[in-house]
Amino acid sequence: MERILRVNMTSRTATFEPMPEAYRNRAGRWLTSSVVHDEVPATCHPLGPSNKVVFSPGIVTGTASPTSSRISVGGKSPLTGGIKESNAGTGWGRRLARLGIRAIVVEGQPKEKGFWLLKVDVKGATLEPADAWAGKRLSEVYPALFARFGGKAKVDICAIGAAGEFRMAAAGVCFNDQEGRPSRYAGRGGLGAVLGSKGLKAIVVDDTGAKEIPLADKAAFDQGRRKLGAALGEHAITKPKGALNSYGTAVLVNILNEAGGLPTRNFREGRFEGAAKIAGEAIFAGNKERTGAELYNHACSPGCVICCSNTWHRPDGNEHTSCIEYESDWAFGADCGIDNLDHIAELNLLCNDYGLDTIETGGTLAVAADGGLWRFGDGKRAIELLHEIGKGTPLGRILGNGAVVTGRAFGVARVPHVKGQNMPAYEPRAIKGIGMTYAVSTMGADHTSGYTIAPEILGVSGKLDPLNPDKAELARNFQYATGFLDTTGHCLFIAFAILDIASGFEGTVEECNGVLGTTWTMNDVARIGKEVLNLERDFNRRAGFTALDDRLPEFMRVESLPPHNTVWDIADDELDRVFAP
Amino acid sequence: MIDVHLYGKLRRFASNGSPDSDSVVSMPHREGDTVGSVVARLGIPEADLGANLFVDGHYADRRTPVADGARLGLFPDDMQLLYKWYFRPKEEGS
Repeated sequence: MERILRVNMTSRTATFEPMPEAYRNRAGRWLTSSVVHDEVPATCHPLGPSNKVVFSPGIVTGTASPTSSRISVGGKSPLTGGIKESNAGTGWGRRLARLGIRAIVVEGQPKEKGFWLLKVDVKGATLEPADAWAGKRLSEVYPALFARFGGKAKVDICAIGAAGEFRMAAAGVCFNDQEGRPSRYAGRGGLGAVLGSKGLKAIVVDDTGAKEIPLADKAAFDQGRRKLGAALGEHAITKPKGALNSYGTAVLVNILNEAGGLPTRNFREGRFEGAAKIAGEAIFAGNKERTGAELYNHACSPGCVICCSNTWHRPDGNEHTSCIEYESDWAFGADCGIDNLDHIAELNLLCNDYGLDTIETGGTLAVAADGGLWRFGDGKRAIELLHEIGKGTPLGRILGNGAVVTGRAFGVARVPHVKGQNMPAYEPRAIKGIGMTYAVSTMGADHTSGYTIAPEILGVSGKLDPLNPDKAELARNFQYATGFLDTTGHCLFIAFAILDIASGFEGTVEECNGVLGTTWTMNDVARIGKEVLNLERDFNRRAGFTALDDRLPEFMRVESLPPHNTVWDIADDELDRVFAP
Repeated sequence: MIDVHLYGKLRRFASNGSPDSDSVVSMPHREGDTVGSVVARLGIPEADLGANLFVDGHYADRRTPVADGARLGLFPDDMQLLYKWYFRPKEEGS
């Protein structure tokens, strides 16, 4: 029996409700965005009592389907003021799914100060005081909580760090990886601050005694997961010792640098002279030198066959941090002008410890450097500034609230954001397709909201030319397909394989049918994705967003970006055509 | 002259094959050069080459013309992670 767990932080009660009929077949992003759309007043203050935080594992999360352990987290974003869905790979959502819990809805707000911990298991859900864990670094909190609740084989943990307790708009929601590290984040959009505003420090999920997830059509499920597994195992990007497994996502540093699209020193240039020193190859070689072994990457969550998560090791061979993703590597590296992997690793570790989104935090430091607070490239100073955030000093409070707030505080006009969210690691003046995605995304500047989808599969005909502004349809279909994948519980990286291998995409749909008993076809992918986007766009409309918010910042139209020396030149009405053809 | 920036296992074709610095081969330009002809002169096996190929920062393929003074960026078959649909080969026009 599938249920929703509703946690009221005003009364500090946790109650189970049956899954509403209207939400049948919804999970992951489809469900979190539905609940936020239906229950959260769009004009509410994100840190007030009317906002909610919704967690939902995807449709196939918790089953034997490969690379499907994503947990979707939704709410109204304190960073953008619009709807937010951010997802992470972790065993936490699998345990929730196995307990038959399709969503946790956290609502209300305590009148008294303090923090609480929610424990969920087969017996139910209980809240207990958690003030003892407040103010501590997450690398202290997680081991202590694992020890208290029976170890990482038994439980997984969701928590906020100091940034969330301080209700900073750059605060993410942390989950542990398979080794128990506090390192997997639903990072973007400040949902950690919303949990902080509700006094919810941590959610510990124990699925001991839970039953296997029931399958409505086991044959369809098995056929689907085999087709998907074959595609992932065969494709050059996703196969064992393929690009992601060997070099991690940070392989993109050198590739974007060659393309002239690696945003450097707060989006002043498209190439970074230190790129080779911080790229995936340098991480692989540095680890080999320091540990004496060739370290291939590991799975961030149970059941992942892609295994793209890396570690970085100190000169003495001991682990420094996990994981230096491309976006984090870029944010503290090229965007801050830092070419030292040990400094980047420390900044990454501090974000994991203080509960911060690495993209927003690195982007904020870059804006602050542009404003004269520190010098680009001075990694030691950047580390000191990150501690300011963790300590909650007045300067830290500014930086912890993201790039837009920091740009205002330091009088910087060059703030690369959309809807208040700092841009990730792809320069829109060099890669115009991603610029369209940044502009119209419901999430603010977000590379994952339309990162990949096979135009062929979605029926876009003709030669693909995303630099051509007439391809608004392409940008739209990208986002619809991503809305579907974020609903399944699969990692977006399966897209690399299933776009090239059609049977893999069919398998993804068949698996969902196997779990739900539906008869979806490829046509339902766009239908469901469209429904997700429509819910999110309607929420944003009611929150006060208009077409004028679907724009890139002015400086990108007037400052040309080396080495291509191009500006952002996509007409506004072309952007508007993405969702209003 | 042409500067060819090599990555991953292709770095072995440069005198500096270090994975954490730039591995660049400078070679004379020849009339009619394409990515394919440059790759052949370097002795890079076809099978080692991936789809992430760049000429002066533009996504390219083996038939893309290479002008004197160009910068090539070549990534091997096991190191292609760029979302290819965001780009189009340069030879298909502006």
